[in-house]
Formats: sequence, structure tokens, C-alpha cells
Amino acid sequence: MNPELIKQLGDQLGINGLPYAIPIHPNLVHLTLGLFIVAIGFDIVGALFPLEKPLFKFLAIPATRSNFFDVGWYNMLAAAVITFFTATFGFYEMLLAQPPTNTKSAWGIEAMNTMLWHGLGGMLILFLIVLMTLWRGFQRFYWRKDASRQVQWLYLLAGLLIFALMFAQGTLGAQLAAEFGVHINADRLLRSGQNPNVFLK
Amino acid sequence: MLERFLPPLNDHNLPYPDTIHPIVVHFVIAMVLFAVLCDFIGYFSHNIKLFEVSWWNLFFATISIFIAIIFGQIEAGLAEPYDVVENTLNLHTILGWSLSGIISAITGWRYIIRSKNPKELPIAFLFVGILLSGLVCTQVYLGDLLVWIYGLHTVPVIDAVKEGVL
Repeated sequence: MNPELIKQLGDQLGINGLPYAIPIHPNLVHLTLGLFIVAIGFDIVGALFPLEKPLFKFLAIPATRSNFFDVGWYNMLAAAVITFFTATFGFYEMLLAQPPTNTKSAWGIEAMNTMLWHGLGGMLILFLIVLMTLWRGFQRFYWRKDASRQVQWLYLLAGLLIFALMFAQGTLGAQLAAEFGVHINADRLLRSGQNPNVFLK
Repeated sequence: MLERFLPPLNDHNLPYPDTIHPIVVHFVIAMVLFAVLCDFIGYFSHNIKLFEVSWWNLFFATISIFIAIIFGQIEAGLAEPYDVVENTLNLHTILGWSLSGIISAITGWRYIIRSKNPKELPIAFLFVGILLSGLVCTQVYLGDLLVWIYGLHTVPVIDAVKEGVL
């Protein structure tokens, strides 16, 4: 955001450029990604259950196929709910971002484009997670209610494709932090010529 | 010493493009917190399916935390912690290793509960779940300090270390 506009907030912002000490968006990202990836992962385990049966027996872990699909459903539902907050905080914190204008990321992209792609990617992923949850719900409660394999192969494939999208999105986000230093105290201090060892005591 | 066995380090002081530890911890943080949430909802709504969801999430968190520690140790070793960071990094390390034992023990207990009767959960387990969530959130906070306050493995900090500023 334009520094003149940021100035309108006066002294409400800390060294990190936020009105609170630790960014919230990256913490919610743990939940979005963890829940989504494990949801697809357990649906895959459920879909391939006949192959794994001997393994669970060998490990002496009682396992019922339908329970893996329960994990696939509830984790996906939770991912959909939490991701609205992840995206909301993402946009809030991105509006307050003041990355340097003279550097490029490891992907050769400047800060503005990195933020735009990360913002668009976030909206797309939120949309896809909601869509996947609806799709999963229809499979669970209507189309494949009584099927031993609750999920369609196409659904699992779509999940894997979204993993790839999440990898790209995650890398852009990581670059905003670890390369452009967005909302990182030490990086912002260094940029203004101050020593973190002195200021972060 | 470690450098001899690793590929050349990049401008994050890493042998690979970006930090991996913060990615692996998704599967500890999200799975533990969601497992505890499922236990609570399951307990009060009598939805026993949620107990199974909780167990499998805990099971996955237990595997993940050891992988998280491996990458955590590699990245801590390459972190170039400057003076003010050391305390926080030590605490994060101690709590991280402790959590591997604590989560394993809790998952072991859950395995026994589930083997005896998967349809019921003793209330004591819910309390332990709250304590565990507290420890996990503390650990997340310490990790957050390392990244968002001290900027470990960020390009500006590594540059400053190389230039002798830090």
C-alpha cells in the first residue's frame, strides 16, 4: 500500500506494519492446508483400502474403511469454514504490506505482482475448497451414500491438482515473507538501517 | 561441518529453495487442534464418528511431528541465530522435542482407549486435549517469533549476517 495512505493510520501500527504483534494469516494457513491435504489424503487411503488392509492388520491398528471417509468429509468441511478467515486476514494484512520496490523474488517476480497473484490465488483456492466440499457432500449423502468407495476417482484427482496450486500459492506467500520481508520486524528494521539486536531486545 | 554434506546454500542459507519445517508443522498444528475439537463436539453431541476422526488426525500428527523435528533441527542448525534470538530458539527446540514425546504418549493412550471401547471417551482425555492444545499454541507462538519478529532464514537477515551487521 502507498506509504502516504499507510500514514493515515498514524501510530496504530507496530514495527511490523500491523496493529498487532504477529501476523494472523500465516497461522490460519496452517489450518487450511493441514485440513485440506489430510482430507484428500484420507479419502485416498479409504479409496485404496483393500490394498492397505494387511498393513493395518500387521500394525495391530483396527481400521474400518468408512472411518477414513469420515475423516475425508469432516476435515474438508473444516477446511472450507476456516479458509474464509484465512483469506480475509490475508487481504487485510496484504493491504498493510509495504514490500521493497527494488527487488525480485526467486521466481523473478516483483513484489506487486507477487501480491496480486497471491491474492488471486487465494480467492481461487477458497472458491475451489468450497466447491470441493459441496462435491464431497453430494458424494457422501446422495450419489455414493451406499457405495463402499465413497469418493469418485475424479474428486481425488481434482484434490491432487489443487495440491499443486497450493504449492505455487504457498511459495508466493513464503516469498512475500522471506524475500520481501513483509510484516517481519527484523527485515523492516534492517531496511531502515537499524539493528534488530538492539531494537528487538 | 553440516555444510560438507549438503548442497550449496542459497540466499536463505538453505540447501533447498524455501524452509520446509513451517510446512510440515501444518500437519501437527491443524491435526492436533482439529482432533481436540472433534473430541469435544463428539463428546457433547454423542457423534461417535467424530471420535474416529479425532483418532486418525492424532495418529497423523504423531507421525508428522517427527518429520517436523528433523527439518526443524536442520533449519535451526543453518539459521544463524543472532544474539537476541538464541533464547527463543532454545525454548522452541526444547518444547518441540518435548511435544514429540507428549503427543506420542497421548496418541498411545488414545490407542488403548479406542482398542477397549471406541464409542466412549473418558472426560480426562478432553482435559488432556486442552492442555495439549495450549502447548501446541505456545509452540506456534515461539515459532512465529522466530519468523515474524526475528526473520530467521529471510533474505534480509541472511544478507545482514553475511555483511557482518548481525
